[in-house]
Amino acid sequence: MRYNVISYLIGEGFKSTFKQKKMTSASIIIMCATMFIFGLFFVIGENVNSVIRQIESQQGIQIFIEEDATEEDIETLGNEIKNINGVNKITFVSKEDALNSMKATLDDNQELLDGWDEENPFPASYFVTLTDLSLNEKVQDQIFKLEHVDEIASENNTINRLQELAKGIQIMTAIILALLIIISIFIISYTIKLTVHARRREISIMKYVGATNSFIRGPFIVEGIIIGLISAIITLIILGLSYNAVMGGIGESVLIQDIGIGLLSFSDMFLLVLSVYLGLGIGIGILGSVISMRKYLKV
Amino acid sequence: MIEFRNVSKKYDTGTEAIHNINFKINKGEFAFLVGSSGSGKSTIIKLILKEEEPSSGNIIINGKDTTFLKPSRVPFLRRSMGIVFQDFRLLPDKTVYENVAFAMYVVKATPKHIRRQVPMVLSLVGLSNKAKVYPNELSGGEQQRVALARAIVNNPSMLIADEPTGNLDPNTAWDIMELLNDINLRGTTVVVATHAKDIVDKMNKRVIRIDQGNIVRDEKGGYDEV
Repeated sequence: MRYNVISYLIGEGFKSTFKQKKMTSASIIIMCATMFIFGLFFVIGENVNSVIRQIESQQGIQIFIEEDATEEDIETLGNEIKNINGVNKITFVSKEDALNSMKATLDDNQELLDGWDEENPFPASYFVTLTDLSLNEKVQDQIFKLEHVDEIASENNTINRLQELAKGIQIMTAIILALLIIISIFIISYTIKLTVHARRREISIMKYVGATNSFIRGPFIVEGIIIGLISAIITLIILGLSYNAVMGGIGESVLIQDIGIGLLSFSDMFLLVLSVYLGLGIGIGILGSVISMRKYLKV
Repeated sequence: MIEFRNVSKKYDTGTEAIHNINFKINKGEFAFLVGSSGSGKSTIIKLILKEEEPSSGNIIINGKDTTFLKPSRVPFLRRSMGIVFQDFRLLPDKTVYENVAFAMYVVKATPKHIRRQVPMVLSLVGLSNKAKVYPNELSGGEQQRVALARAIVNNPSMLIADEPTGNLDPNTAWDIMELLNDINLRGTTVVVATHAKDIVDKMNKRVIRIDQGNIVRDEKGGYDEV
């Protein structure tokens, strides 16, 4: 018996979805368009976040240690830095390490460093990576208060800009999501209102013979879900294809490869985008149909 | 079965449709609700169906006061009543069989029960041979029979008919009345709102006469007797 009710609801839902062909396709197209725009911002946002995470893992703070610090001082400083909230990894770079790495950078021009081996001018330092770039300034403030810290070098500007960019994209995505939800609910509820109106006789008879509201609502909610699902799947395909096309172009550019920072492939985000789209499609479908039915259930 | 206690109904527009009405229709009774249009009989029907709420007073149906019935329970109240209207209200894109089965479907009857019950009520109203026909191929009287079949298919304890013969010629109207009488004889309480004088006279049943929102007469007999 349960099975019968469910098959009735789904059957009726499908029937009415495809009866109102024009309106159904119009609402699917509009939903696809809005969901696509949202999807664009969503994948861009995901990429920016991923880039930030990658930079975060590379980006760090270089803490130069005063010349007169003893080995003991250096060790205490290292422990103190380790205990600061937000510090991920800490590496000690000795004076020799610094000189060697400079040597490696200079390659063929070793003569520039002639004689520096006796009196190494490079200070020892700690290289610190952060768990979260937004803690950058806080961590720096705390490190500055420690003893034997000479100077701190970090890419403050880069970090701040990335943070701002990520925040901007987040806000845009949120605004577009809100707009998408409003427009789509409106469109779906309008479409379903047409079906409801066409079937108002049936609905009133159902009310008189004692059908419950949830039973009457069922097929229309199914209709909303079908529209939402179809839109979600179509948009997912379009978004995936266009993303891969654009990425194909960018991926070949030398620039990206040189920086050593990779962008996400669509398959990395597939599950996330799929669940966001399905959630949106189904949610909007249900809300739209419930709204459109309110008036007709008052008999 | 159906009891009105000091029931008044004032619409939002300010018109008072019925005023302090009291009556009781017992189980198995057949009662006419008569009066000219605008007298308040439709309001009484709507109040019984709980399509409208009384402004004051209590309505007791099957021993339960429906005045404070939760909206979510209204469908279950309606399952105890079959309802027939003047305009039949059949679904044009469904066959006679489907129209009747539909009423069972929406109350989630089992397919087996539907297959057994629908042919039975169709034969009761004399439409066994029209099961596969669409409503627009039927005469008015036949359409009302389908509506009757639909109203009784779930075995309601009462049948409420609002001007059931209003759209029918006298002979057909009489057929429908006889059918209502048959249904009553099988134990179903029947309430018929009508202003068809000749039918009421001929049936010689209880008559509750409403005039300007008041009951002016309640006794067995014809339409006009005082």
